[in-house]
Amino acid sequence: MNYLDCFHAIARRRTDQIAVTSAGNSSQAWWAVTRDSEASFYLDASMSLSTMFASGLALAQPDLNVWAFMGDGAFCMNPGMLMVERQMNLRNLVHFLVSNRVYGATSNATLPNFADNDYAAMARAMGLDRVFEFRGIQELERDFDRVAAGNAPGHTFVVLEVEPFSEEEQRLEQPPFDGPELKFRFGREVERRTDCNVFGYRL
Amino acid sequence: MSDQASAVGHAIAEELAKCDVRLVASLPDNWLTGLINAIDGDTRFVHVRVNREEAAVGLCSGAYMGALGSAALMGASGFMTVVYAITKINYTYEIPLFLLLTLRGAVGDHHKHHVSNGLYLRSVLDAINMPYEIMDSTADVPSISRCYRHTRTYARPMAVLLTRDLLLGKKT
Repeated sequence: MNYLDCFHAIARRRTDQIAVTSAGNSSQAWWAVTRDSEASFYLDASMSLSTMFASGLALAQPDLNVWAFMGDGAFCMNPGMLMVERQMNLRNLVHFLVSNRVYGATSNATLPNFADNDYAAMARAMGLDRVFEFRGIQELERDFDRVAAGNAPGHTFVVLEVEPFSEEEQRLEQPPFDGPELKFRFGREVERRTDCNVFGYRL
Repeated sequence: MSDQASAVGHAIAEELAKCDVRLVASLPDNWLTGLINAIDGDTRFVHVRVNREEAAVGLCSGAYMGALGSAALMGASGFMTVVYAITKINYTYEIPLFLLLTLRGAVGDHHKHHVSNGLYLRSVLDAINMPYEIMDSTADVPSISRCYRHTRTYARPMAVLLTRDLLLGKKT
């Protein structure tokens, strides 16, 4: 399925979810379809840490529903993250693995073992129960409610098989924020939603 | 593990609890056994055993954005693998991070495979402008709270380097 069509479909289903995106394409795509500058943290170029970052947030604020996006380039750098995610088993975290079989942020360079990597099988092998795979928009639209089902026990892992960005899509704007601005925008939104105190002082 | 090492572990855990640390992400180092056991057995903490040190950086950084106090606990060797994650996340976004590291390779460490840490750990910390304090005896343990609070003021990472003598209870 087309990467942007996939993100449009997911964004349409978004209600109250906080989002954390990963390097390059997922940040570009999420910014393109949402233009969200408060309830999304664009953790650019973290090289596999977006779901760990999201896990810390989800642990800290159990009433926040957190969506974390990660490309399979980042995932290949550190698939052992799933062991930690399974161990934490946070019911308010959904890990979206955006699989385009390339390092999208580096001109679609090919991933190691790209043809055979079975991410859903890897997740199941690490003990995850709530594992979903989507290869087409219709399937995603039809079954997405199961992904976001309320009161579902445990951590959710979703593989989205998408096409790599086209040359034109590669030119999509990166989220245009300096780090501290994004930190404060996002942190104030978390404070507003949860009545917590992120920065030590409230405005 | 000696009773002294266990007592030091509990003393450090107590200090972490005083500054509202609730999440501790750890990877082991033999010197840290007493501290990790103390954390793991203390219900005031959520102890997450991570698969690699940079996962601790990610977890603790996200916890900060949710207003949860946290600490990352690792050996010197592990720290040497996380420079990119720290500069990318904690410096770029100015997110505080509190690290407890072993001061491997220093005088008293008889392991030859830690010579590189003795040579380069502090140089690397200096190179990325990360402040650190060395804790060598139980008398230093109360400084942990001050260092933790400094990360919140400084809005960047800081490390405390725990010596063998402290962690194994050789020096009071």
